[in-house]
Amino acid sequence: MSHKGTSTFIAMRASSVLLLPLVVWFIWSVTAHAGASAAETRVWLSSPVTAVLFALLIAVSAYHMRIGLNEVIDDYIYSSARGVLKALNALAAILVAGLGFYSAYLLAFAG
Amino acid sequence: MAASITNRATGVALYGGTILLAAWFFAAALGPDAYAPVGAIVGSWFGRIVLFGFAWALIFHTLNGLRHLYWDTGRGLAPKTASMTAWATYAASFILTLIVVLAANGAAS
Repeated sequence: MSHKGTSTFIAMRASSVLLLPLVVWFIWSVTAHAGASAAETRVWLSSPVTAVLFALLIAVSAYHMRIGLNEVIDDYIYSSARGVLKALNALAAILVAGLGFYSAYLLAFAG
Repeated sequence: MAASITNRATGVALYGGTILLAAWFFAAALGPDAYAPVGAIVGSWFGRIVLFGFAWALIFHTLNGLRHLYWDTGRGLAPKTASMTAWATYAASFILTLIVVLAANGAAS
């Protein structure tokens, strides 16, 4: 992340601010559906609003945690493994975000 | 000082939590056959302990994130103030997690 300090700083703050309402909604929504049966859970997650908010929460979290873990890697890893770990980190973030969007599509829009 | 390393530890834990969340969401999207074993794990004692840890990590990291955003405005940086808000963050995270657990138990029964 050399020469990208400012944009990384802004990306971390912007994703934090976006995550605030998403996390509050997430905790409220999951708590309200605690103990729901598999069928009830599917009805809940299949609503377009719920599915899209879940996908957004997962995608913005993936973006935020990629930056965060890159920072951890920069702080603790000094060997040539650093580049490999950062590539795996990017791959994991893309997979997680993609899984969230694909799942939301299957739940709310593919039927 | 302690809140800083806790923020990092909860952040790394939430990395795993987010992967689990995406996997759970995907299992639900695949249908009842795929969701059945995942739902059984979530409902087990092990699943509940993981959920409890996930809830506390998420709440702590979110509250401490607010602290960071406040710092970014140039305020709250005096050591005494920062130490006070750190302890307030720990206390609030435990209280809010307890409220979430009680509310979830209430919703489940």
